[in-house]
Amino acid sequence: MSTTTVGIKLEEQFESEQQQRETAKLGMWTFLATELLLFSGMFISALVIRTLHPDSVTAVALHLKFWIGATNTAVLILSSFCMSVAIESSRLGLQRIMVRAMLLTAALGVLFMCLKGYEYYRDYVEHMTPFLHWRRYELVGDPASRLFTDLYFIITGLHAIHLTIGIGLMLVMSWLASRAGFLQKHQNRIEIVGLYWHFIDLIWMIVFPTLYLLNR
Amino acid sequence: MPPELKQKLRTPIATMLVLLGLLSVNVILGIYFIHGWAWIPEVLITVTMILTVLLVAMEALHEPPLTRLFAFIGFCWVSILLTLTMMDYLTR
Repeated sequence: MSTTTVGIKLEEQFESEQQQRETAKLGMWTFLATELLLFSGMFISALVIRTLHPDSVTAVALHLKFWIGATNTAVLILSSFCMSVAIESSRLGLQRIMVRAMLLTAALGVLFMCLKGYEYYRDYVEHMTPFLHWRRYELVGDPASRLFTDLYFIITGLHAIHLTIGIGLMLVMSWLASRAGFLQKHQNRIEIVGLYWHFIDLIWMIVFPTLYLLNR
Repeated sequence: MPPELKQKLRTPIATMLVLLGLLSVNVILGIYFIHGWAWIPEVLITVTMILTVLLVAMEALHEPPLTRLFAFIGFCWVSILLTLTMMDYLTR
């Protein structure tokens, strides 16, 4: 197995490689903290609707595809593992294994999106899309359920946008990382992208119980 | 696979197995214990899963103090938001 030297190209504003690595990670954590705040508002809204209208939420939850949600959680856990393999390989300079692990991570992300797309299709077929004014809403006699259903689409849609960005990043990074000399100059980029991917996984771990699981 | 990579992958494999195990418990609770107090273990398991990803997979434990502070502040702010909001609605 061929290994390459690992490192990063020191930019002029940094004193050392370690400082550059720590600064990049701090920047990513700060960005992720703002992302967490963005999602938190929606999670709190979902919990408040659950508290105020438990029966309406249960009626909606019975229409949600619990097994698809659970399967998607497992898919993201597996994808996070693949990302960890990519990170560890990059630290050891194992370029080929790293690129393959990143491609597998992206493939699992695509599988997640396919399952999510099927779930949205089933919601459409079952008339669980209250924001589409030209279609009848299944729970039309229960206005509070509309709130929770809309929130379900907003939260899962926002997560799907983040995951799509993650898949794009993973593919671009795989392409860049497959070039000779990448790990000598930009190894920390793999770790930064890895943080983002783990965060997407973490957010879904909150989405699944909040929307699908609690008091369903 | 090189032996040094096998050695390094022990923690990610253990993390994945723990997360899948916890997810299985949550799924079983979701299927067989639909109403009542099932939400308490479900929430506890979810928090455990979040902490596992945050501290082990995202390696927050090994970050420098300033980075750990930023991660802590983010989750601390969310905890305050959650606690105060739910305290209001649950005690009305």
